[in-house]
Amino acid sequence: MHTAHLRRVVLLGAALLVLGAALLLFGLGIGSTGFESLLAARHDPVALQIVWDIRLPRTLGAWLAGALLGLAGAVAQGLFRNPLADPYLLGSASGASLGVAVALMLFGGSAASTQWVMRLGLTGAAFVGAVLAVLLTLTLARGVQQTLRLLLAGVIVGVVLGAAKDLITIASADILQAIQGFILGSTGLVGWSACAVMGAVCAVCLLAAWALAPVLDGLALGEATARSLGLPLGAMRAALVVVLALATGAAVAQTGLIAFVGLAAPHLVRSVVKTTHARLIVLAALMGGLLLMAADLLARWLIAPQELPVGVLTAVLGGSYLLWLMHRRSARGGLS
Amino acid sequence: MSLAAAIEARQVSATLGTTEVLHGIDLALASARWTSIVGPNGAGKSTLLKALAGLLAHRGEVRLFGEAEGGIPARIRAQRLSWLGQSGTGEASADDLMVYDVAMLGRLPHQRWLAAPSAADREAVERALRSTQAWDWRDRPLGQLSGGERQRVLLARALAVEAQVLLMDEPLANLDPPHQADWMQTARALVAEGRTVVSVLHELPMALAADEMVVMDKGRVVHHGGCDDPATHTALEQVFDHRIRVHRVAEQWIALPK
Amino acid sequence: MKMSRFPSLLAAIGLSLCALAAHAFDVVDERGITVSLPQPPQRIVSLLPSLTESVCALGACERLVGVDNYSNSPAAVRALPQLGGGLEPNVEAIVALRPDAVLLAKSSRVTQRLEALGLKVLVLEPKSHADVQRVLDKLDQVLGTHEAPRVWRVIDASVSAAAQSVPASVRGKRVYFEINSTPYAAGESSFIGETLARLGMKNIVPARLGPFPKLNPEYVVRANPDLIMISVRSAQGLEQRPGWGGIRAVREGRVCRFDALQSDVLVRPGPRMDEAARLMAQCLVDKGK
Repeated sequence: MHTAHLRRVVLLGAALLVLGAALLLFGLGIGSTGFESLLAARHDPVALQIVWDIRLPRTLGAWLAGALLGLAGAVAQGLFRNPLADPYLLGSASGASLGVAVALMLFGGSAASTQWVMRLGLTGAAFVGAVLAVLLTLTLARGVQQTLRLLLAGVIVGVVLGAAKDLITIASADILQAIQGFILGSTGLVGWSACAVMGAVCAVCLLAAWALAPVLDGLALGEATARSLGLPLGAMRAALVVVLALATGAAVAQTGLIAFVGLAAPHLVRSVVKTTHARLIVLAALMGGLLLMAADLLARWLIAPQELPVGVLTAVLGGSYLLWLMHRRSARGGLS
Repeated sequence: MSLAAAIEARQVSATLGTTEVLHGIDLALASARWTSIVGPNGAGKSTLLKALAGLLAHRGEVRLFGEAEGGIPARIRAQRLSWLGQSGTGEASADDLMVYDVAMLGRLPHQRWLAAPSAADREAVERALRSTQAWDWRDRPLGQLSGGERQRVLLARALAVEAQVLLMDEPLANLDPPHQADWMQTARALVAEGRTVVSVLHELPMALAADEMVVMDKGRVVHHGGCDDPATHTALEQVFDHRIRVHRVAEQWIALPK
Repeated sequence: MKMSRFPSLLAAIGLSLCALAAHAFDVVDERGITVSLPQPPQRIVSLLPSLTESVCALGACERLVGVDNYSNSPAAVRALPQLGGGLEPNVEAIVALRPDAVLLAKSSRVTQRLEALGLKVLVLEPKSHADVQRVLDKLDQVLGTHEAPRVWRVIDASVSAAAQSVPASVRGKRVYFEINSTPYAAGESSFIGETLARLGMKNIVPARLGPFPKLNPEYVVRANPDLIMISVRSAQGLEQRPGWGGIRAVREGRVCRFDALQSDVLVRPGPRMDEAARLMAQCLVDKGK
C-alpha cells in the first residue's frame, strides 16, 4: 500500500475544503455594503436578506460553478489527453451565448415567445444552448472514437455558433450589453435555486466521472491496452462527453463564460500531487471551487461598492499563473 | 489439459489500411505452454497477436478455450486474456501515474463499477510488482523511471490481470540481461501453474528457450513446432535468408549471425 | 351613550379599511405580468435613463433612491447612488436601498433575480413616440401622480413648435442620421426617425430596412443626403471615408456634429424628446439653408 501518496491526496483534498469553508464565511462580509451588513444582520431584516439571500448563495454558487468547471476541465484534459484542453472545447461556450442571445431577442417579440422565455429563463436557455452545441459537435464528429475529429468538430461548432450569436446581436442592438455581461461572467445572479441546481448537477457529475475515470487511466496506456482491459471505450467516452456537457452547461448557465478555471484547476492539482483520474477529478473540482470563489471575492472587493466581472479577473489571474509557469520551466532549463 | 488449444486461429486474415497483412492464418496454440512467435520485420507478428487478443478487426475466427472470441463479453475476455503491447506506443500520458496505480490498472477487468480495490486486487498487484522487482518504486511516478524500469512496471500491469492466457509483444524491450532472465523464469512459472504464455520476441535465444515456436514470414505461418525440433531450426534459418545459424551452447539453443 | 358610539366607530373602521384597500392596485407591465402594489411606491430604483427621466417629468423625482450609471438627467439624479452600468446592475446594492418598485428594461438580466428576492419589478421600455406617452401614462398609474396628460401635452406642443421653427425651404430635404461609425443609421421606423418625420424631413433610410440597420457605406454615398446628423466621435474622419467627399452634405458642409450630452438627448426615447426635436430643428436652421 502506498500510504504516503494517498496521504498527500487526502491532505490536499482536506486543505481545499477547509480553505473553501473559510473563504465562504469571509465572503459573507464582502459586497456593496461591506461588513456592516454582517454586523447589522441580527436586527435589520434587509441586512439579513443581503447576507443570507444574496451573499451566501452567491459565494456558494461561485464555489459550485468553479467545482463544475474544474471537474469538466479535468475530464476534458483526460479525454483529449491534452493538458491544454478546457471545458469549452466542444462548443459549449458558443452554444450557451447563442441560447442567451436568442432568448433575449425573443423576449420582446410576441406574447407567446415572451411567455416561453420567461418560463425557460435565461439560465435555462443558456443550458439548453450549451448541451445542444455539444450534441451538434458529436453529430458532426460522428461519434467519440476519434479525438482529433471531435476537437475539430468542436472548433467548427464554436466558430459557427459564435457567428450566429453575432448576427443576432447585430440585428437587435439593444441586447448587446446584456450579452456582453453574460460573456464576461458574473455570480451576481446566483440565488438559492441556482445553487440547488448546480449542487445537484455537481453531485451527479462527480459520481459519474468517478465511475468512468478508469477509462481515462486506461487510455493513458494507449487505446489498444484500454480495450484489452475490457473497457467499453465508445460508451464510456460518450458518457464522459455527456458529463462534460452537463457540468459545463450548468456552470455557464448560472455564471456566464468564466475563463481559465477549467484549464488551471487540474494543472494546479497536478503540480501538488500526481494521481489517478478518479482522484484528480475530485481534487480538480475542489480546487476549481476554491479558485472561482477567491476570484469572485476579489471581484466584489477590489472596487467595492462596484464590481469587476469575475471572468475578466480569472483571465488576468489565470494568464499570470501560466506566464509564471512558463518562466519557471524555462528557468529550470528548457521548455518541456 | 496441456494439449488442448488455449487459443485457436481459423483462417484469420487482416488488413492494415489497404495492405493485406495476415493471409488466412490457421494456428492452434496449446494451453499451459510457452509459445514464442518470431519472424523478420513486417512478418505480421504484432498484427497476429492483436488479432488473437481480439483487438483488431479481422476476417476468420479466433477461439479462446473453444469459445468464439467474438461472442465472449469484453470484460470476461479481459479476465481470461491479458495483452501487453509494444512499449513506446503512446503512453506518454501515463507518466503522471504512480507505479502502483499503473499496476492496479491490470485489475480493472476484475473490479466492479465504483468499487474500491479489494484485498485480492491488492495482493495480485503486490505479487505482480514483486515478480518484476518493481515493488520498491511503487510510490514513484512512471515518468521518473528509466526505459527498462518502465518496461518492468508495464509487465507487472499485464501480470496483475492474473489471466489464463498472456499475449506479450516484445516484452523484453529495454530490459538488461538479468531482467530478461527474470522474465524467462516468470514465464516458466506461469506455464507451470497451467497458464498459457505467447510472446513475440526479437531476441532469438530467448525465443528458442520457449516450449514451442511459431515462425512467420510475410503474413503467413511458415512453421509451428517445438523449440528442440530441428525442423523448427531449419524454418527459422530459412526465413532469415540463411543469414543465421542455430547452435547448441551450454544446454541452450542460440542463434548467431553467420 | 355607549350604544350610539359603537356603530359610528364601526363605520369609521369600515371606511378606513376601505381606504386602505383602495390603495392596493394592480399594474400590468410590458411582459404581460400583473404586479400588485400595496400603495404607490415611495422608494423607486430606475435602471433605465429614459425611465428615470419619465419619473422626474411626472414630478416624482424625490421618490428615486437609486439609478443606473447612465442616468444623468435631470441634474438632481446625479447625486443618487449608481447601481451599475448596462453590463449588470448590482443586485446587492439594489436590495440594500429597500426599494418598493424597480423599473427596468426588457433586456435586463436581473429581472428574475430581483423578483426571486421579493422585490416589485416593472418592465417598461419606451421605444417609439407612442411608447413615450404610453409609458408616461403607465408610470402615472403606478406613481399615482395624475400628471401624465399634462406633461404629454407640453412635450407634444414643444415638438410641434420645434417643427414649425424649421423654415419651409428646408423641409423635405433628405437627412442621414448616423448612430455610430460602423455605420449604424437611424431609419424611418426608429424613434429618431419619427422625430425627423415630425420635423418634416425625409430620411434616406426607409422603414423597410428596420429601425437601426447596419448599412453598407456605399448606400449612403448613393443616397447622397442633403444633410448629415452625427456625433462628434463618429464624425472623425467623415470626409476621408472613401467616396464620401462627393456627398452633397459633406461638400456643402451641412454636417451637424452633436457632443456626448446632446447625443444622449437625441438617442433616448423619453420625455426629453422635445429637447431632441429642438436640437435637431436648430441643426436644420443652421445648416439646412
